[in-house]
Parts: sequence; C-alpha cells; structure tokens
Amino acid sequence: MKEGSNHEKEIKAREGLVYDPTQDCKLVGAARALAGIKDAVTIVHARPGCHCGVLLLRALGSNQNDIRIVGTGFRAQDMVYGAEGRLATAIRLSYKNFKPSLIAVLNCSAPAIMGDDVEGVVLSMKEEIPAEIFALSTGGYEGPAWIGYEETLAELTRFMVLSETESDKVNLIGFKQDDIKAYSDLLEIERMLNSSGITINTVLTNSTFDEIKNAPRASLNVVLGGDGLECAKIMQEKFDIPYIVTPYPFGLNNSIEFLESVTKSLNKEVSEEFITAEKNSIKERIERIFLFLQGIYDTSVAVVGDSARAYDLAKFLSDELCLNVKVLAITSRNHISRDKAKANEDYFETLLIEPDRFEMNEVIKSKGVEMIFGSTMEKKLAYELGVPLVRIFYPVIDEVSISDAPYAGFRGTPHLIEKIVNSVINNYVEV
Amino acid sequence: MMYEEKGNEGFLRPLINAYSTLPLHGITAIPGKISGALMVADAIEDAVPLIHGPVGCSFQRKINPFRPYLPFYETPCTDMNDLEVVYGGEDKLRMGIREVYERHHPNLIVVITTCASDLIGDDFKAVIEETKAKGDVGCEVVYTTGDFTEKSKPVGYQDALYAITDQMLCNGVEKGVTDKNDGSVNIVTFPIHGAGLKVAEMASVLNEMGIGINKVCFDHTRVEDLYDLPKAELTITDYPMAWAKLMKARMGVDYYATVGLEEYRNSRDPELLSPYGIEGSARVFFEIAKRMGKEGEAEEVIERRKKEASERLSEVKKGLEGKKVAYSGMGGLHSLEVMLLRDIGMDASVIIYKTLGLERILSKDAIEELLNITLEWARKYGSDPEVLLNPTTEEEIKAMKKTGTDIAVLSSLTNAVHEYNKEGIRTFNPMDFMLHHQRIGFECPIELAILLKEALKKPQRRNPLLCMLKYDSRRTNLIPHWAKLADMFMTLREGAIGDTDRAAYLK
Repeated sequence: MKEGSNHEKEIKAREGLVYDPTQDCKLVGAARALAGIKDAVTIVHARPGCHCGVLLLRALGSNQNDIRIVGTGFRAQDMVYGAEGRLATAIRLSYKNFKPSLIAVLNCSAPAIMGDDVEGVVLSMKEEIPAEIFALSTGGYEGPAWIGYEETLAELTRFMVLSETESDKVNLIGFKQDDIKAYSDLLEIERMLNSSGITINTVLTNSTFDEIKNAPRASLNVVLGGDGLECAKIMQEKFDIPYIVTPYPFGLNNSIEFLESVTKSLNKEVSEEFITAEKNSIKERIERIFLFLQGIYDTSVAVVGDSARAYDLAKFLSDELCLNVKVLAITSRNHISRDKAKANEDYFETLLIEPDRFEMNEVIKSKGVEMIFGSTMEKKLAYELGVPLVRIFYPVIDEVSISDAPYAGFRGTPHLIEKIVNSVINNYVEV
Repeated sequence: MMYEEKGNEGFLRPLINAYSTLPLHGITAIPGKISGALMVADAIEDAVPLIHGPVGCSFQRKINPFRPYLPFYETPCTDMNDLEVVYGGEDKLRMGIREVYERHHPNLIVVITTCASDLIGDDFKAVIEETKAKGDVGCEVVYTTGDFTEKSKPVGYQDALYAITDQMLCNGVEKGVTDKNDGSVNIVTFPIHGAGLKVAEMASVLNEMGIGINKVCFDHTRVEDLYDLPKAELTITDYPMAWAKLMKARMGVDYYATVGLEEYRNSRDPELLSPYGIEGSARVFFEIAKRMGKEGEAEEVIERRKKEASERLSEVKKGLEGKKVAYSGMGGLHSLEVMLLRDIGMDASVIIYKTLGLERILSKDAIEELLNITLEWARKYGSDPEVLLNPTTEEEIKAMKKTGTDIAVLSSLTNAVHEYNKEGIRTFNPMDFMLHHQRIGFECPIELAILLKEALKKPQRRNPLLCMLKYDSRRTNLIPHWAKLADMFMTLREGAIGDTDRAAYLK
C-alpha cells in the first residue's frame, strides 16, 4: 500500500498478510532494555525456545561475559498444570547465584495464554527475596520489540526516587548496549558532553539499578533518536524533568546538532573551540583519503535499520558523504517515526516502514543499490546483490566490537568513513 | 546446504568453528521445536516454512542454535496478534498459506505451529485440507506441531520429518503400490552434518556390493527426491528416527540406524554405539548388506576395502602407535576413542569424566554404565589409564604430566585446552574433527592419523591470552558467570523441582 508522496519521497508500508519480519517481538525489546541494567537478572518465563533464542541473541550480539538471562525450565506438562513453581524456583536461584538488585520476569506467550499467576508469584516472593522483582507481560502476540522496550523503560520509572536535580547532569534515554559499537559510542557521547561541562547521570539503559532509581537527579533527559520517549514523558510528568529528542550523532552535523540541542536545553553555550578542533580533526583525516571519497560520491545505497538511528545515519550518508540513499527501510518504529517520515527532508528516495523482508528485498533489488547499511539479517541480500554490507543496526551477530573505535560522534565520523570506504575497496572481484 | 560447494569451504570451516563453542545445547538452554523444524524446511530446496505464530517466533528463530553461523533469512509468519489469540488464527493461516504460495511458488509449505497457535487450539489439519481441496495452492502443505513423535529429540526435527512422511509421502498411498528401486537404500543424515561430503565413501562401498543408492538426504534435496524415498528397500539413518519407523509401517521400507541404540539396550555391547573406525564401519556395511541380502558380495568388498585401508593406515600411523593420549570418556564410544585405540594404536593415558548436571537427567546406574564403557574399552586395548572424575584443570594437567601424555584430544567446549597448551601439552580438537571429518568409512581413521601427526608437530603455544581469564573450577571451560547459568539451567530443567515448588508455593 502506498501511503503517500511528499517532496518526491515514496513512503510504503507492508502490503501482504504474511510477514517475514524485520523486527523481533515484545520479549526481545524488553530483554534488551533490561540487559543494560548492570545488576539485574532477566527471567524468561517461557517454553525453552524463547529462552534459548534470547540467550543466543545476547551471547552472539553482546558481551559474552555479561549474560544475565535465565529460563524457568518450562516443560510440556507445565502447559497443563502451570509453571508457577518453576518461576518461584528461578527467582530464588537467580538471587542466590547473582545477588541482583532487580529481577525482572518476562511472561511470554505460553504462560500468558495459560494464565499463570505471574504477578502472584512475584508478590509472594517479595518477602523472601531482598531484591526488587517485577513482571512484564511480553507475549509475542502482544506486539513488536519496540513496544516491549518502551514499556520496560516506562516500568522502570516506578522505581525512580524524587530527588533534588543537579545542574548540567543529563540522562541518556534510548541507549542500547547490545548495539554494535555501543560502548565506544557511549564513551564518545560522554566526551562530547563533557566538553560543554555536562555530565551523564544515568543511561537508560547502561547503569546500575541504583543509578536508574536516581535518574531524577538529572536536569534533562536526552532521548536518543526517539527511543524511550514514553519514559521521558512519564519522568517529565512525575519528576518535572524536561526532555529533548536528539539525533543519534552519526557524522559531523548530527554530532553538532546533538551537542547544540543538549547545551541549549541546559541554557549553556556550546564550546565553539571544541567544535572547531573536532572539525579540524575530521578534515585532516578525510583529506588523507579524499580521492576515495570523491570516488564513492553518489554511490546508491540502502539503509535498513531501527527508527532511532536509521534516519540519522541516512542523513549523514546523504548530506555529508553524498551517497544516494535509494531506500531507507525502518525495521522497527518508535513514537516519532511517523513524524520523521513526514518531515520535509529529502535525504532518501523511498521509505519503507516496518516492511516485510521479502517485499523490502524486492524493492532494494529493483533500485540499483550498490551498498547496504544494515544488520546481519541483510547479509544474504548483500551477497545476492554482490554489494558490501556495513553492519550498523541490531542484531549484529557476525561482527564483534571490542576496540574503542566508535561510530557515533566526532571521533566516530572518521571511523565510520573508514569502515565504509574499506568495505568497498576490500573486495576481491574478477573482471 | 552450501557446505560442500567449491570455494566456500575455506570460509565455512573456521566460521562453523567460531560458533561451535557456544555452551547452549543442554548446557544452558534447549532449542525449541521451531528451530529443529526450520532445519528440515531449510534442507529441502524447494520448500518454504510458514510459522503460524507471532513475529518473535519467526524473527528470533532466524538465528538458529543448530546453525548459529548462518541465519535463516526466509521465515515468513502469520504475524499472530492478540486478536487471533482470542478469536482464533485459522483465517490468517488459510490466507497465509495462499500468500506464501503466490509469493514463492514452492513445492512444499511446511507450516510450523507455535506456543500461541497450539494453545488456542487452531485446527491446522482442517485448514490445510480445506486449502488443498479448494485448489488454492499448487503444492504440498504439511504441518508440524512437535506432538507427533512423543518428544523424540531433537523434537522439531523429528516431528517435521514425521509430518512430511505422514501427511505427504504416505498419505493415501497403499503399502506395496509404490514403484521400487530394487536393491537400493536411502542414506539420511542430519542437515548440518554435510551429507554430500560425508557419505561419499559409504555410497561407493555399498555400490560395490551391488546396493544402489536411491537417495541421499539432505544434499540439495528437493520435494521430488522425498517422493522417491519410499522406492528404496532400506533407509539408513544416523540414529533412530520416528519417521523411518513410520515409513516401514506404512510403506514397507525397512530402516537401519548406524548408531544401534535399540540393539545396545538388548545386548549391552558397546561396540554397537560406534559405527566409526575400520571395524565399526565394516560392521555397519555388513549389517546393511545383510538386510539387503548381499552378504556374499559384501564379504569380499569389505575385506578388500579393509585390507587396502589397513595397509595405508599402518604406513600413516607410524610414530603414533603407543603415543599416550588423554580424552573425554563422555562419548560412550560414539566419539573418537574407538579409532584412537583400535585403529591407530595409541595408549589411553588419562580419561576425563565430567558428570556435572548429568545426575539430574540420568540415573546413577546409567552414569555408571557410561563411565564403564570407555574404561573397559581402554583396558581391552591394553591401556591402564588414570581416571579423573570431575577434575579441576590443575588435576587434569597433573595427571597428563605424570602419565607422560603426548596429546590431549579434548575440546574447548568441555575443557580448558589453552591451559594444557600453556603447560606444554599438545592438543587435538575433537569437535573440529567431528564437525568436518568424522564419518562411517575406512578412510576416516587414516585422515585422523594424518591430522594427529600434524597436531603433534604444531609449535607449542606458551602464552595463550585465554589463560588470563578466570574459569570455573568445575566447568573448566566456562567463566564463573556461565557456569552459574549452566548450574541454574540444570536445576530448573529437573522435572521434580517445579512440582515440589508448586506444592510449596500453593501452600
């Protein structure tokens, strides 16, 4: 179905009933949000496949020394008699083994349909277990991953404590520590903020549970790309903390815009000296490969990723590297995706919103795309088209990132450019 | 499968190995039925899966624990949401089947049901029969729920094959009506085992005995190949399969499992558990020949092939005989020890048993039996190994040094091999051998001997970075964090735990 045209843009939504999804279910969105709480354990109350799936995603796509995902050992007979006892055991064992500050129970399709009294179990365990415990309903049929992410961050606001705000302290909302380059991106974002005398109070989520409870100490919530907007709104209402939605700082201009909007919201001046130095640093580096940048100028590309970051990457690729973004596929929405789609921007040609993978591949194949920016899930498409794939978006399970080389921010810009150019010139081809 | 395609192997082997140490299967998690069923659908080139469930059941299963190195890119689903959970998902399934057919034009659609569609009671059978009767699709459609094979493992894999046999191959066909490819067999292995690569020698030996190969699955298998399966007289599988039993009952096609679990239960002869090595392979070939009435032809072929292989092996294994080898005793002869001792003539110096968690799924007697099998086997071949039960890495190294062990045939999936290397003990990776080389045939022990000799010549690794990490003292390959996950998983999977706790909780 064609939704409409706006300034030469073509916006498409899914056509068929059958859906080969480009996004995961509510369970994974919730699990991703919880994974960033450093002293929390996530219990997946589900048949073994869901637990195994989430564990596998974490083990392949994030820090392998920090997997805090526990199943409940749900067996076939539990479908008849219920698995509340197993859940109680899982909570007990989780506390015994990890001494977490928070235990989050994700109630999945099977027990949700069966009607396991998960809330009842949680309530009964609270006397015994000296950690916060909460349950979220994350049946696969209840919605996609971004809903699970939003609901989890919103749930966390229940534990936040009203306190005196500290000036020039911000919370980052919408950060996901299992995105590729997440840790180095965070370091760079922190460095950028520090340059203007701003410090990070809490990262939702890449903080301890205590730090999350103390999130109301910040004087501003910075919502990265729009993910976690619901949480920011609740915090504004409950704790009177204002929020701003910033771009994910891919490239020079997104980085400047990010920094300017944060400083402006805090009534501060951005350090022009810092920006100039960073610009010079980027200039000096791109000068070293300017012939290649001229060479890849106007290359046709597709960007396939989540709303919070894909729009901003596409803008960087189009505005700054001057690549031709033929297709921008938003695999997973958030509350501001529609507004972004309708904005008077012209950095992409065709926009697909939560497309079916089959339909999306057909569109990309028809557009003469020469490079894809996506996730591991675009590997086959890239192979079929014989084009490079730059892995930027979740899930990335076929590339690791342990060095301090970000994709975000000023320092991320040369690194991202390096990755892009190398992905083009690294290939062996026969002519 | 792209496994054996030329040009890929150089990339594929290290790729498979990179993902092979994930401590998942039965250690910290169990893959669900969808993963196994997808393995089957993916192994049939002109089949398409249709997952009748929510998006997560599709998206999450793209990353498959059976094959984590290569995602499943096409996993369409019916996108079940809360409306269907209340009102039923049959309409969506009906439309979904039609749409998948129009989109992909496959020869088979494998409908894989999920927790949600199973629990709400959708009548899959009726929907599929109606769709086919109306002529909405020009292909076969089967459905797999995980309930057809009494939880034979891997459930999804067994169940999907059973569904194909029951609903497609045997559906409406009377016993004895099918054309026969007389004197032929099917060779069927698990899709990740790289059938094309691994059964070539078996096929050649059988051909020489006068036994034809009807079909090899899964090796670029198409639906038309599946329809040809009942033409064979015998189906050879790597372990007992419910679908093969069904095909015997319905179509009269006998079956033979190379790992004789059922026969072992009667005879307690551990050799039945190993189809590998020269003698193991000879036994398997002779048993197949016997089933096919080709004992006479087989005797000569097997003897000749054995002789040729033994002669080559005796040359290749020079320098290996008598070398002291440490290995895991947990394979119950299904692993390499048969070839190490009997074929190559090595001396078992240390046998390591790791039973942690096993007591929750096996009886004390069964564990004892498992331990005895390998020890008795070692003694039978003149070894007097040191036996270690759930040792620490330090104890393992101490025993290996004391016994003058030349090589440890142990994997990073179970042992801290980097620590052995640091202490000057050379290692050979049995997991790599199992994934890429191990097969029935006379060539396999020769290959093993060559690789072992190479391993003994490898430069010493004196400073593995992996030694910088702290490992669990009992699960010596895992850092303490993962060991906790494994311990918890074992406890939580135990049947009685939940029941006891439920009773306590309900009080």
